[in-house]
Amino acid sequence: MAEPALKLDKLVKRFGTHAAVDGIDLAVAPGEFVTLLGPSGCGKTTTLNLIAGFLAPDGGHIQLGGRMVENLPPFQRDLGMVFQDYALFPHMTVADNVAFGLKMRKVAKGEISARVAEALALVKLDGFGARRPNQLSGGQRQRVALARALVIRPTMLLLDEPLSNLDLKLREEMRTEISSLQRRLGIATVFVTHDQGEALTMSDRIAVMRDGMIEQIGAPAEIYERPATRFVAGFIGSINMVPAKVDAIEGGAVRLATPAGPARARIDGVSAGAGVTLTVRPERLKLGPGAPADAVAWQARVERVVYTGARLEVQLALADGSSAMAEATNDGSTRFTAGQTTTLWFRPEDAWVIRESA
Amino acid sequence: MNKGPWTLLKVTVAVIYLFILGPILITAAVAFNGTNRSFFPPRGFSLRWWGEAFAPQWVQPLMFSLELAALTAVIATAIGVPLAFAFQRYDFPGKTIVRTITLGPLILPTLVTGIALLQFLTVIGLGRWLGYWALLIGHVIICLPFSVRTIAISLQAMPGSVEQAAANLGAGPLSVLRYVTFPIIMPGIFAGMAFAFIHSFTDINMSLFIAKPGQRPVTVAIMSFLDFGFAPTLAALSILSLLIPLVLIAVLGRFVGIGNFLYQEQGRG
Ligand SMILES: Nc1ncnc2c1ncn2[C@@H]1O[C@H](COP(=O)(O)OP(=O)(O)OP(=O)(O)O)[C@@H](O)[C@H]1O
Ligand SMILES: [Mg+2]
Repeated sequence: MAEPALKLDKLVKRFGTHAAVDGIDLAVAPGEFVTLLGPSGCGKTTTLNLIAGFLAPDGGHIQLGGRMVENLPPFQRDLGMVFQDYALFPHMTVADNVAFGLKMRKVAKGEISARVAEALALVKLDGFGARRPNQLSGGQRQRVALARALVIRPTMLLLDEPLSNLDLKLREEMRTEISSLQRRLGIATVFVTHDQGEALTMSDRIAVMRDGMIEQIGAPAEIYERPATRFVAGFIGSINMVPAKVDAIEGGAVRLATPAGPARARIDGVSAGAGVTLTVRPERLKLGPGAPADAVAWQARVERVVYTGARLEVQLALADGSSAMAEATNDGSTRFTAGQTTTLWFRPEDAWVIRESA
Repeated sequence: MNKGPWTLLKVTVAVIYLFILGPILITAAVAFNGTNRSFFPPRGFSLRWWGEAFAPQWVQPLMFSLELAALTAVIATAIGVPLAFAFQRYDFPGKTIVRTITLGPLILPTLVTGIALLQFLTVIGLGRWLGYWALLIGHVIICLPFSVRTIAISLQAMPGSVEQAAANLGAGPLSVLRYVTFPIIMPGIFAGMAFAFIHSFTDINMSLFIAKPGQRPVTVAIMSFLDFGFAPTLAALSILSLLIPLVLIAVLGRFVGIGNFLYQEQGRG
């Protein structure tokens, strides 16, 4: 197997007594797009700054393409970075901004102008070279920052919440643009965000961070459908979590006791009596008749229906009074009214059990 | 809608302008008097006083002031740049004390600083330095806070990520300073230099104590001449001294864009 583009080994960074990064292990394969996702203050930027060399680690190792770089200053690490505020040089034109990294590398003049033009074309900014950063829109600045980082042909790309300053529409546009550019160039990328939508749509793998540690790392579908912890489950998308106790083990499935009623789900390696959490995504919860024989079916009362256009969010009260949410396609086949009692059901394979009690 | 507050604001602004511009306009008018007394409105018309203002008696102190202010501004900036970096970027023992001492002249009456410096130089036996060097030291002391503060503010206003970006793109520490930090704070450095120049050029409190006869700044010269009454020559001279800083600011504003600093400095500091 090829050397990973980036390897973090038990990386630690403390500010005072507080560990902002608390033992992170991560390997990014060549060409892979890995997202660091987590709430504000969980250490995403600190991790990126350690990789870029703006901070020195208090413990652990950083390897770039198999080479230890902890003692290498930032200007020798050969990484392309896009900052949250873009950090364009305000006193230089767009072309000079993009050319900066090449000038520092003493690339010949003729080659510089050719590569700058090429980089600007790559981000669809041909003809903008003579402008100043303050004469550009947010999305255009973003692209200049990207071009400036890419033009040096870095060994990998680091992106710190590059989309958070853009409005919704532009953000979605840039998402696809960055993704396709990254795939086309095949450049290993670490992308930082606290936006789960960005993480799910753009990444090969997502590392969910919490308090300076990686809570779970995996492909988007894995993170979404098989969260390892309650934190990961709750952080990405909405989810119904019901505390449960393992009643009995029947082959590949377990029988669970929950306050909302009995349930069955698939999980290995738990013993009877263990406290766990049963989770079901709202879009996997069904309402009304039609449950197959092996489905888990509970009584529920409709509390409120939130109309969002294409979908209906049905808020429910379960038998024990706790609340749940089901999401239905607004296909005209079903009507829900507040106060109505209904059957809520899901197939055992649509539930996911987390080995953590509430 | 209630227009009361707006009217009040307009009147206030008008009164303030009147008190700023009124004296200047009157002084300018007085300089055109046809008689040798400072009448307002001027009696008769003459350019004689303007000619007199260019007599060696006045040109010499004017040139002296210009030279002193220019030298002061350059020295204050040369010391101010590293000091501002130190205050803004580094923690070192005694930082608060050093900063307080540096910025002290901003709040101390210059008169006090002047007397203190005079005493000090005499006590440490550098009495024979009195004169030009003492004057220069005094001016640098009172002008330094202006350059330090202005440069520190421009450093603070620059996002740190810009320097990180430069380093990330392959610039070593010196290249970062040369291609990114300095160009970005240059308007602040020039603004600080302009402040120092103007402060030195308009100073009288420090000069009054330290200047030797024959090496008098124009402010001191005007001051002593006032003993003989306010002649139209002085009016012309005052207007000339007023124009010099104005021209300086206009030129700097045109070429390095220090405008933001002149008008936002207080707000951002
Ligand atoms: N220079 C610093 N000095 C002291 N504490 C710091 C410093 N930088 C970051 N921290 C702390 O370290 C923790 C992690 O910060 P970091 O900036 O990495 O978070 P983040 O995940 O990027 O958050 P956000 O999504 O808000 O950008 C926070 O608790 C923060 O307060
Ligand atoms: Mg951050």
